[in-house]
Amino acid sequence: MTASVPSPPRSCTSGPGETGTTPAEGAATARWRNDGVVVLAEARWPEAGDEGAGPAGVAGFVHSPFAPLVAAVAERCLARRYGTGPLPPGNRTAVVLVSAGGDTAGAAHVRATVAAGGRIGPLFFFQSVPNSVAGHVAARWGLDGPVVCLSPAGDPRAEGQAEADLLLYDGDAAQALLILIELAPDGTPGEATAVLLGEGTRQ
Amino acid sequence: MAERETVRITGTYALSALGRGADALLAGVLTGTPAFTPVRRFDTTGRRVTVAATAPDVGTLAGELTDAIDRAVRAAGLDRAGRAGSALFLATHGGPYSLPVPQGWDEPTVPALAGHLAARCGLRGRTRTYTTACVSASSAVADAAALIRRGDLERVVVAAGYLVEPDQYALFDAGRALAADGAVRPFSAGRKGLLLGDGVAAVVLESAGAAARRGAESLASVAGWGRAGDAYHPCQPHPDGLGLARAAEAALRRAGLPPEAIGYVNANATGTPFSDASEAAALTRVFGGDAGRLPVSSTKSVHGHALEASGLLELLVTVLALRHGKLPVTAGWLGPDPQCPLDVIRDAPRPARTEHALTFNAAFGGADTALLVSTS
Repeated sequence: MTASVPSPPRSCTSGPGETGTTPAEGAATARWRNDGVVVLAEARWPEAGDEGAGPAGVAGFVHSPFAPLVAAVAERCLARRYGTGPLPPGNRTAVVLVSAGGDTAGAAHVRATVAAGGRIGPLFFFQSVPNSVAGHVAARWGLDGPVVCLSPAGDPRAEGQAEADLLLYDGDAAQALLILIELAPDGTPGEATAVLLGEGTRQ
Repeated sequence: MAERETVRITGTYALSALGRGADALLAGVLTGTPAFTPVRRFDTTGRRVTVAATAPDVGTLAGELTDAIDRAVRAAGLDRAGRAGSALFLATHGGPYSLPVPQGWDEPTVPALAGHLAARCGLRGRTRTYTTACVSASSAVADAAALIRRGDLERVVVAAGYLVEPDQYALFDAGRALAADGAVRPFSAGRKGLLLGDGVAAVVLESAGAAARRGAESLASVAGWGRAGDAYHPCQPHPDGLGLARAAEAALRRAGLPPEAIGYVNANATGTPFSDASEAAALTRVFGGDAGRLPVSSTKSVHGHALEASGLLELLVTVLALRHGKLPVTAGWLGPDPQCPLDVIRDAPRPARTEHALTFNAAFGGADTALLVSTS
């Protein structure tokens, strides 16, 4: 069996001049509102002392440094605020994970294995979405607010803070753990930042 | 700032294995005939399960999303200026193409896809892309509604898409998540798991004021929404449905409605043993003794699980059901499961004697959402 032939790309032009319209400059540069949050704690990977060492592995996650990097930077950030945790129930702490590329190492392995007609290990299913490691962090620390994963086209921190701001304003979250992560182009650990955001004074 | 602004749905479109357009979706879920057939889109040799609900003659995901957005904004009656004033929230799987793209075609991957779609469709507002697995679309709707109610945005087009493709199919098969008996049996005894299905949908959400100013018809309102987390496990829901219950309670609170006002729940129920039992527990927490008398169905048993798009496809099902006055069927029923003591609609559609319904979604990571739809 082979893939069916896709139909031609559809355009939603409803009148002359709409094809390929570039978003207005004003919209492209418009900022999401994020003035309602303050930084309670922050951590990065790598920090001083991390040279040469990768983040520790996470049980149940294989092949890719994506989950270990998220777990490490989240642990470092939350420990600075809460020691060993976990937080008491009802804390409504959201996990907002922002990554443009996602788990590129894991996705590449799956793509190559499937294309070659091979079999994928079951653990790849359980780590196939960024929610999984976000849920790992939430379970470890008892974070019972919303879980949201975004793939930003612009400034990842601004976009993540805007999401946190909205969740706090809306009331589903009382604070938010924002995690920014991108793997290096070769799939090795790149950089990650975790920021615990609380409600500030709204303008 | 337009606090407490009502959020209207003024345009919709959906593609699934049930067909193209809202009429096909409604007819399919009311008939209740499962759309699962052997997969011919790609090779399933060696897979444990070889069926899914796939639509014939689909294009690329970007092409189908473009078409869905266009049809939804046309249905909403948006002119060029109306389109230009619209934001686009996209729900889709992150990473590389989910379906092979013909050689020579230049199609963007996430995260550039939302900007590409907005440009093609003349939407000049801000864009945002949700990759929150099976609550991607419902989270996008919740956020869009919150931003409209806060007065930040006047109109948001929410689009979502998943087309059954070889990588996710192989992953679900490897994880033994797919129903080996080829049927999805939500809340039923003997349920074996889920099956995947195509889903591409778009919805136009706008403030009641904006809709009124241009004389747009309101199909329904997103009157409430809620998002919460289980804090339990990377992949399994809390057995007591804690997060889903809190999401539903938040949706009711935002809508200003008591639980007894709800006359239908479009359940997340995937047909997975553990997950469906968790959702039944959540319903019992929210509705107490009335949970067993509340009409519930899961249309995933008919159109399959559209993953990142499931929340939008099922929101449309809920809107269509309320407007048409008939509640859709749950297919695959074998018999009652003591862990799911619910009034599951099966065999035939039921008259909809309500103006208010909830639609639930849940995902890996313990992510839970509830959207409250009102036709009043």
